[in-house]
Amino acid sequence: MKKILLLILITLTLSAEVKVGDTVNNFTLPYLYDTSKVVSLKTNAGKVTLVNLWASWCSGCKEEMPHFVSLQKKYKKSEFRIILSSVDKKKSKSIKFLNKVDKDKTLLALYDKEKILPKEYRAMGMPSSYLLDENLKIIKIFTGSLDDDAMGELESTINKLLGK
Amino acid sequence: MTKFILLVCVLVFSGCSDKLVRVMPYEKEYFAQDKMSYSPLADRSEQEGHVFLIREASAGGESAFQGGCGCR
Repeated sequence: MKKILLLILITLTLSAEVKVGDTVNNFTLPYLYDTSKVVSLKTNAGKVTLVNLWASWCSGCKEEMPHFVSLQKKYKKSEFRIILSSVDKKKSKSIKFLNKVDKDKTLLALYDKEKILPKEYRAMGMPSSYLLDENLKIIKIFTGSLDDDAMGELESTINKLLGK
Repeated sequence: MTKFILLVCVLVFSGCSDKLVRVMPYEKEYFAQDKMSYSPLADRSEQEGHVFLIREASAGGESAFQGGCGCR
């Protein structure tokens, strides 16, 4: 009986996705533009951080990207940081797209070829964005492309967390 | 017997779990390709229609407007 209960517990644990209030683990991923450089979440996180899982083949991801660029420009990187994690099979596709919408490399773009983050977070959609506080605790999860309302909600949450 | 039923339930529910069975959203790169869509040449259809109308000399005949005789 104990074994069966243990089996049920393991099954449920395996299928559990991250939720608001959970603390995410620190991760290190290669920098998209130069994969010889490795970037860690902890050392690059701002007081508030948005981790965005995206791919160049995902139309919703591409739609929201210009909004992220303009949102990042409103804040100092020490306050608020957007970290992109591309799950493209070929990083050249991600770079080609980002070169169009983010010429100044405003967003910190990482390359997750092995899809480590979406597997760990059990992302239920593409794109998926996770708003974290300075302790890497998940404050909000956005599944799917952020529309104007969601962007407004995101911005007000950031301001609230920054005490603005 | 109870153990057996519980074990069957666990296996069945695990098997039916969409998280374990379905293709995850971040693994849909190939599904996003143009060739995977129902009409991969959708962008060309307008151009093809234009060529068809010129070739058949039946401009306007493709809709109810103009009466459909093709001669205006």
